[in-house]
Amino acid sequence: MRRMFSVWVLTLVVGIAVCAGEQSAIAADEYDYDLVHSSVGFKARHLGISWIHGRFNDVSGKFSLDRQQPSKSTFKLTIKADSVDTANKARDEHLRQPDYFDTKQYPTIEFKSTSTKVIEGGYEVTGDFTMHGTTQKVTIVLMGGKEHDFKGTKRVAFSTELALKRSDYGFDKRAIGPIGDKALIFIDCEGVRK
Amino acid sequence: MPDLWLYVKAMVSAAAVSALCVLATVVVRRKTDRSWLNTACVSGIGFGLAVGCGVLSLLPVWPPANGLDRFLTVLVPAVLSIELLAGIQRVPLSFLWALRIGLATAAPLILLYGSVYLSGFDNDWPLRRTSTVMAACSALLTGVWALLGRLAQRSPGVSIPFAVCLTTQCAGLTVMMAGYIKGGAAALLLVAVLLATIIAARLMARRFGEVAENCTLATLGVGVVSLFGVLFIGRFFGRLSTGSALIMLLAPLICWATELPQLRHRKPWVVGWLRITLVSVPLVFVLVEAKRDFVRDMAPLLGQGEPATIELTAQAGDRTAGSGEAAFP
Repeated sequence: MRRMFSVWVLTLVVGIAVCAGEQSAIAADEYDYDLVHSSVGFKARHLGISWIHGRFNDVSGKFSLDRQQPSKSTFKLTIKADSVDTANKARDEHLRQPDYFDTKQYPTIEFKSTSTKVIEGGYEVTGDFTMHGTTQKVTIVLMGGKEHDFKGTKRVAFSTELALKRSDYGFDKRAIGPIGDKALIFIDCEGVRK
Repeated sequence: MPDLWLYVKAMVSAAAVSALCVLATVVVRRKTDRSWLNTACVSGIGFGLAVGCGVLSLLPVWPPANGLDRFLTVLVPAVLSIELLAGIQRVPLSFLWALRIGLATAAPLILLYGSVYLSGFDNDWPLRRTSTVMAACSALLTGVWALLGRLAQRSPGVSIPFAVCLTTQCAGLTVMMAGYIKGGAAALLLVAVLLATIIAARLMARRFGEVAENCTLATLGVGVVSLFGVLFIGRFFGRLSTGSALIMLLAPLICWATELPQLRHRKPWVVGWLRITLVSVPLVFVLVEAKRDFVRDMAPLLGQGEPATIELTAQAGDRTAGSGEAAFP
């Protein structure tokens, strides 16, 4: 009788623990970055008169959206610097060199959120942006976040624009040359719910 | 684009500081001996390089973040320390060579530290491949260092460190043309300080009736490690081809050709010129190829590629139109 009671209590405790875990998992929806329907692009001034456009073709990421407690939502994005594509092979090769991205030393560009705030139409996310081995705190405004069910798969999308100075990230000032110091980054990402 | 005037300024400042350092050290002492001249040379190289790096804004950060930083803050000071020790007569030669071999073994690891080659990030570079390549590079550095050191003892002369400087200059230009401007600039500075040190030490040795062979050995050691470092970072972080890197690393060994019986007993200046000329031959080929690749790669960036293509297409179109076949738009 005593043993049966112990087994019953243990089952109850384990059951409560599992349910509690499930509850928290349900509260935060996990999404994977959908490379097919997303893009990370950038543009930078050329000679101060025009813009050079480019993109990164190899990006991955995860975000967790907590609808009940949005401040607990997290965002993480990893860009492979080697995948830079400006529609010119010679220039792409040049950008991978140590005077620019130094992709053999710093293979990734990363963003990892540290705090999230809800704003009208999206989220204001503050996090660590690491590029060229230098980490800076940045705040980005993610617009979107509406969920869409497409053929049984739940998707959510965000867009943001970010302006940064390459000299803040340890790029050689002389190598900045004809390409402007300031770069604008455009992120349009779609997440697929796990 | 590189600022040529800035490079000239940096090289001249670095060379002037190195030469002054050697001259001042020896003049203050009013005589030269083995250890004093060696100390003057090593400190001249160190101070000159620091000034040159300052002019070029190449001052490395600590902890070193990339290959070039590790080369300038770890590898160069390490070889300078070893060559400083080499000037002390009580230090046994076997101990010095143990230190040199230790540095040669550690050099690839130091330069690749934290990169995709060691972090396993790059699938093309599994640990076994990286280890094999690093061992081969260490063996090459040790071999070149030992063979040139042996030649310098067997048949002394400034032509050997001059040949190493010439090769390092060629390596710097090739690395620059391969797209790694800062890596190449470091090589130009090293060449400037080494040449200035050799010339100043030679002058002082003559002035005080001493031979400058100790200085030759010190500059040779720093020169060989510098050449290796520039080629290594150019190959693994830049776009320098393996073939070009190997040719340049092995080129100074051609100096051994003057040890042939027919050439060995010629006058020292004939042997010296012969060494420089022979070493220059493969370097010219490497430079010509690097220039050709540079022009080819830069053409699209400078807007020189497209018009040629359009012209060719138009000519082809004219011809096919003339022959009555349909031309592609």
